[in-house]
Amino acid sequence: MHFNRRNFLATTAAGVGVAWAARRLPAAEARTTSPGGLPAGWRTLRKIDAHNHLFTPLHRPDADWSEAENLLEAADALGIDQLLCSRPVVGGALADIALVREMNDTILAAMKRYPRRIRGYCFVQPGNGRAALDEIERCCDAGMVGVKLYNQFKYDDPLVCPIAERCIRRGILLLGHSGFLTDPRALATQPKISHAGDFGALSRRYPELSLILGHVNGGGDWEWTLRTLRDFPNVHVDTSGSVMEDDTVGDCVRMLGVERVLFATDATVEGGVGKVLAAELTEAQRDAIFHGNLQRLLDRRRA
Amino acid sequence: MIIDLNAALGPYPFRRLTRTSADEVVALMDRSGIDRAVVSALPALLYRDVQRANADLRASVAAHANRLVPVGTINPAYAGWERDLDELVRGWRWRAVALAPGHHDYRLGDERGRAALARIAALGVPVVLTQRYEDRRQRHAWDRAEDLQLAEVLVAAREFPSLRMILVNWAAVDGARLAAAGLRGRCLIDFARLQVLFRKEVPRLIETLGAEAVAFGSHLPFDYVAPALVKLDSVARFHPAHLEGIAGRNAARFLGLG
Repeated sequence: MHFNRRNFLATTAAGVGVAWAARRLPAAEARTTSPGGLPAGWRTLRKIDAHNHLFTPLHRPDADWSEAENLLEAADALGIDQLLCSRPVVGGALADIALVREMNDTILAAMKRYPRRIRGYCFVQPGNGRAALDEIERCCDAGMVGVKLYNQFKYDDPLVCPIAERCIRRGILLLGHSGFLTDPRALATQPKISHAGDFGALSRRYPELSLILGHVNGGGDWEWTLRTLRDFPNVHVDTSGSVMEDDTVGDCVRMLGVERVLFATDATVEGGVGKVLAAELTEAQRDAIFHGNLQRLLDRRRA
Repeated sequence: MIIDLNAALGPYPFRRLTRTSADEVVALMDRSGIDRAVVSALPALLYRDVQRANADLRASVAAHANRLVPVGTINPAYAGWERDLDELVRGWRWRAVALAPGHHDYRLGDERGRAALARIAALGVPVVLTQRYEDRRQRHAWDRAEDLQLAEVLVAAREFPSLRMILVNWAAVDGARLAAAGLRGRCLIDFARLQVLFRKEVPRLIETLGAEAVAFGSHLPFDYVAPALVKLDSVARFHPAHLEGIAGRNAARFLGLG
């Protein structure tokens, strides 16, 4: 299974890229850059994607694995070692806990099939109460490394407190969907989306919580987000989102400090890698963002 | 050779861009291995008299004629636009003309939009249609421009069958619908907001419209260039037969660049 088209192409195409670079670049530059001016050796830099998803039901016997296979094909090509994935209920509706469990069963199935590549976030909704806490226990016992919240509740809602406390007790991450949406129509589609101030309120209450503001480039006003997060030193940001604006990653580092910045793609895989490569960073800073900062948070996990 | 189909010069009112001048953009191109860039003038989005922005763009690119390919913008809702268009194409010999209906408050399908499309088609140059400059979810309170809708483009493609189109900064563009509207062979799409890997939007465009329909694009200076470079690297690894075309040859052919 693992000697497949993906691996074959990845191996052979590397030679194509090198040959093309040699044609395109002056000899002196070709020694230090790969095609099109990317940093030398960018593919081999260790990377852990802190925010990704699998939305196809994978726990059923007749599961279609193409989404997961395509994601891993991309991860192979881009040098992403591991992907932290969740399957949230989207659309703002409060779902029954049975549906929530089914969402998480998808991720558990992916973790089982790709144990070295896929790690899991347990999606829960605070409104499910005690059942949500039980679901966190079930998922963590099965190896998940964090909790994923979506937009069913604002994160300054007291209903979120038991979730945060459970994350602290287990030493796991809490990744939250976020956005400061300035467009009224966009906000109307997810009125309870949390912004940086909501994350800040939660972090003030639980400073020991490994709290991650998801997709700083997820479409909201990222400049507002970074300005706000300056006042909340215990909130991390992930760099994912479909927006590629220059110089988001640099501003994250300058305004928050490199130790608070985590690489992620949220399915925008090439762009997610590219924006970290584009930012003017030292090697140590790039390594910290690509994997070191997240690894430090993952190491807090308790059995 | 890399040609960036999706680039611009000048300041933007709602966010400070790191690079706005021709010198700064060319320096970035040098660092990124980009040979040429197709640039429009950002002030043309908001000036009442867009031809002044085109004139400024003309002056800006003059020192970089072998690197920057200017695209003029016209506003068919403003006085004298026909004369502007003729000057751009016949006088200045510019190779493409952009419309910005979201910023200039008209629709492609209304009387003004259709008049502009008809005249551009008659002049034999491609029209550049940008879906968006910024994500609407972060819009400034004074930014009222809506994203251009694919349905409007398809209607225009059917109404003007000789009109060639350059679609810039589009996401989730459906090549099958473009082909059904007769755009196979007469459109060029940059991949700044499309994926080569995972969602495989670029390979699907190649299947539905042909590899000659896809071009390198970064959306500089709004966006980082490296995401586009990573995509080009993905093309080199997974679709090597189309590398030279997507990197620059398709754009050169479409725009008639030497």
